[in-house]
Amino acid sequence: MKTKQDFPNINQRPPDGRKESGKPYRVLIVDDSMFVTKQIEQILTSEGFDVAATAENGQDGLEKYKELYPNVDLVTMDITMPVMDGVTSLEKIIEFDKEAKIIMISALGKQDLVKKSLLLGAKNYIVKPLDRKKVLERVLMTLKKQ
Amino acid sequence: MRVEYINPFVEAAFSVLKEVLRIEIKRGELYLKSVSQPVLGVTAIVGLAGDVEGRVLFDMGEATAIKIASAMNGELMKKFDDLAKATITELANMITAQAVTKLHELGFEFDLTPPAIFTGDNMEVTDTGIEALIVPIEMEFGKIEINVAIREKN
Repeated sequence: MKTKQDFPNINQRPPDGRKESGKPYRVLIVDDSMFVTKQIEQILTSEGFDVAATAENGQDGLEKYKELYPNVDLVTMDITMPVMDGVTSLEKIIEFDKEAKIIMISALGKQDLVKKSLLLGAKNYIVKPLDRKKVLERVLMTLKKQ
Repeated sequence: MRVEYINPFVEAAFSVLKEVLRIEIKRGELYLKSVSQPVLGVTAIVGLAGDVEGRVLFDMGEATAIKIASAMNGELMKKFDDLAKATITELANMITAQAVTKLHELGFEFDLTPPAIFTGDNMEVTDTGIEALIVPIEMEFGKIEINVAIREKN
């Protein structure tokens, strides 16, 4: 039987969700779907990220961002949500913190809203269905981009 | 009803189900219904309004819905609870978004309602003045019927 020692490189790899200091990146997930929130949360926590908070709509997301600030490194933001949509929430978060790193989570067919979000200051986007590789790639790309 | 309305939904359902479930999926015989028809127990409904109007149902038995939700969440679920409902809603969302992108490319302009889920036994759906086209999709988890009733707006 193979043991952990047979895969030293894999087991020695530090989790992607930690900064050089060893502290985890803190993420705010804004999505009205319990399923999508759980999916993103599972992917991120499995790599050592800290999901600092979740929010069910753009208004809640904006308030949580202000509460967490400056101890928040990244936001994943759904586009279509009740109360306040993701594009408006993005705009208001950027108004509050122009350095905010926000990734839009979009269904196919929302290209116009994704483009608008990128112009407004979103750093990246992910089109659903979400998979682990796609999410981690975009999240890391966004966190490491200065 | 023109078949070109239903094909994008069937193609999108195939592509999304294969991607999220990673199992083999087969298409059953398409059929047409113009009177009331029973629905299977868990139904996601999406409304369309614009150049075309009507509704699309993603209809399945509760056991199938629980198996799909379990596979999509990577955990065994025993009840059709809130997480399972959110999962089936998201599945309907992803399929509809992909289908609508194709229909927009074909030149049809319309808006969608967010999916709603209804559940229960002995339910029927009746569409007044629109025939429904139904495409069964078979897989190891059971059957999903894609039930499309759309007409061009005068």
